[in-house]
Amino acid sequence: MNTHASPEIIRTDNVTKKFGEMVAVDHVNYSLCENEIAGIIGSNGAGKTTFFNLITGYYTPEEGTVIYEGKDITALPAQKRVALGMMRTFQLTSTFDSLTVTDNLVLSFIRAHKKHSLFNLFVTPRSRHRNNDKIKECLETFDLQQVAQRDVKHLSLGEKRRLEIAMSILAEPKVLLLDEPLAGLSETEIKGVLDVLRLNVSKQTILIVEHKISKVEDFLERLTVMHEGKIIADGKCEECLNAPEVRKSYWQID
Amino acid sequence: MVNIFRWSWGLLLAFFCLFLVRVFLPLPFANEILIFAIYTIGCNFLLGRVGFISFGQPAYLAVGAYGTAFYLFYFGSNPFVGILIGVLSGVAIALLVGPFFVRLRSDYFALVNLALAVIMFYLFEKILAKITHGDNGLWFLTNMTSTPIIDLGNPSDFFIFTFLLAFGVWALYKYLDDSIFGACCLATKTNEDKLKFLGYSNFNIRWLAFVIANTTTAMAGSLYAVYFGFVSPEITAPSRAADPVIVTLLGGVGTLYGPIVGAFAYTGMKDLISGYIANWELFIGLLLVFIMLAGEKGIWGTLEPILKKLIFKKKNSTN
Repeated sequence: MNTHASPEIIRTDNVTKKFGEMVAVDHVNYSLCENEIAGIIGSNGAGKTTFFNLITGYYTPEEGTVIYEGKDITALPAQKRVALGMMRTFQLTSTFDSLTVTDNLVLSFIRAHKKHSLFNLFVTPRSRHRNNDKIKECLETFDLQQVAQRDVKHLSLGEKRRLEIAMSILAEPKVLLLDEPLAGLSETEIKGVLDVLRLNVSKQTILIVEHKISKVEDFLERLTVMHEGKIIADGKCEECLNAPEVRKSYWQID
Repeated sequence: MVNIFRWSWGLLLAFFCLFLVRVFLPLPFANEILIFAIYTIGCNFLLGRVGFISFGQPAYLAVGAYGTAFYLFYFGSNPFVGILIGVLSGVAIALLVGPFFVRLRSDYFALVNLALAVIMFYLFEKILAKITHGDNGLWFLTNMTSTPIIDLGNPSDFFIFTFLLAFGVWALYKYLDDSIFGACCLATKTNEDKLKFLGYSNFNIRWLAFVIANTTTAMAGSLYAVYFGFVSPEITAPSRAADPVIVTLLGGVGTLYGPIVGAFAYTGMKDLISGYIANWELFIGLLLVFIMLAGEKGIWGTLEPILKKLIFKKKNSTN
């Protein structure tokens, strides 16, 4: 179901992923439009993250196709999808723990500016981009200046989450896919992360997978609800949340 | 006071200490330490920076040594050309096997390298026996011609050459640490999935790191060959496969000076203890167990923070 006026950027046709006998994602048809802010929710085990992994190339579907800007990318490796403009974060924060916060951002910055050929990596000192304006701005936006020179392994969970999202935004992707970006964050931190995401709303397509809708309800333009590997509702947040099937499976209200 | 931990000074100081070794200790000992340190730095880099443990470093050491030996035995007499050929042989073997090996997980990587060392041992001992002379080895000490300025046949000149070469190798690894490539190596070690989803190729980064590491290992092999003027399959004996890993752990994994300190300690203990006990490896084994239980930092890994603290304390008090 798609009501957005912009052209389609990602589409999945009948994608299916099984783990042994269990069907984690069951013939899902989904499409996302340019500059759309969409969310996928569902209870634990609904298949949200697996579906996310199928879009981003972490898994290859057993059936179905993934289309990006009109091209079939079903068999394309993850790093090539990144080159097309797709960037994701992970459910468990994923950063480079043995590098400093700034160096994590430098790696992201270099990738965004296509300076990541082996030759360039080899001849460029780390210090060259550390004082780059964009990196400084990013540290400020995400309130990471105080810990800029600290190794990531010494950061708190909230700081790591902010860093991971900062890395994704700094990479300037066309589509930003965030897997439970607010999990484990305090109310203030959640507000901070959503404020930063709002800054990029007009520039990027954003797809958020969340477990709890209350955190992102105001932020989303469109909501999709998954249950047992299938999409059971898709549309405006309020409509979706009041759909009888969603009330039964997500809210567990008869 | 100069901060010796700023890299250039640190490096100069480390090599000044090595020079003192040359002045106060026997020359063969100093040469052996230098070669062993070059031999180990590749292993240290792979383990400490890329996250790959290798039990097959003797394979690359042997390729370098035999590359040099073949040239000096069959084709020419200039030891510098011999070393160059040995190093290029190292580049070739690393380029060749790298694409297969770096795809593996660290534990399988360790074993497949060990397998390569075993294959190389039998290749040089049996299959290529006609040209390697099997267990008798290749003797070419008298084939080597004297070269002007630095004569590698002279142990004292050999020390100067190896010393300069080692300094260059350390500067290279220090440079790698400070480069974006070095950051990528650490990134592939700590979180390869994230690096992939940031759009980098783990494979390319690991392959290049593998080639750099094993080229320096092959360089050590070439130096052995020229220093002793003799190479036999014993150089890649599987029983010696753990040596560079032991020295790496002894010195301190992922530390720049670990290989020098480790090589010094290992060679020193070997020379010292073997005078009293025939099975000196027993002592090294016990020491290694102690180091692992004491926090896996190795000698330099333990000393470095203490030295830093002392120096900074002094610096602060003078301020």
